Amino acid sequence: MNQPLGAVDAFAREVRLHVFGKAADTGRVPQPPEIAAALGRSQAEVEQALRRLAAGKVLILAPNDGNIWAANPFCAVPSPFRVEARGKTYWGICIWDALGIVAALGTDAVIRTACGDCSEPMLLKIAGGKLKRSEGIVHFAVPAHHWWDNIGFT
Amino acid sequence: MLIFRAEEHIDRWCETRNIKRGATLTPQQGWQLAHGWYKDKLKPEWRRHTLEEAETLLASVGLTGPFWNLRD
Repeated sequence: MNQPLGAVDAFAREVRLHVFGKAADTGRVPQPPEIAAALGRSQAEVEQALRRLAAGKVLILAPNDGNIWAANPFCAVPSPFRVEARGKTYWGICIWDALGIVAALGTDAVIRTACGDCSEPMLLKIAGGKLKRSEGIVHFAVPAHHWWDNIGFT
Repeated sequence: MLIFRAEEHIDRWCETRNIKRGATLTPQQGWQLAHGWYKDKLKPEWRRHTLEEAETLLASVGLTGPFWNLRD
């Protein structure tokens, strides 16, 4: 379906607000069939909007299909970066995104994760907008200007 | 990006994977970076940071030097 660019952009914005709103409210990132049903549009239209959002680095699609891998900072699948907040569980794709979930929600939270090397459990707590408990060291393996070359690895 | 218990855990992780060691942050720097990057993401008026805004954020967290250069 060919639509005027403005209409595509307007719908992409609607999809963005729906996806991120659902992720924040429920801890689950909705996928194309649910988004289409919720917004009363076809799945093809939703997938087109998601590709547009992914091209704009607003979210990340899973390789080889139209599903959302991460409406970053919210990861669509369980990960080793678990965030407990508002009585719900969220997942980030990395420690930056786990912290980012807390920042986006603007709430107190506990992050349960593990050392990237030895897998020993690690815990961070945020309360009142401040990091109240932390341990360890954050490591970026990829230099900043290559972050989006392979965002999964980054 | 991952979190490790200690410096030697980072070294071992890099050696095991034959990956060059990158850059490290304290969890406090990580929180400041994540907060600046994502605090507005749920807002309807959200937009991506400009390159200049991202550079300012990195610098405000103390992340400067070639590793943190966002330009090609």
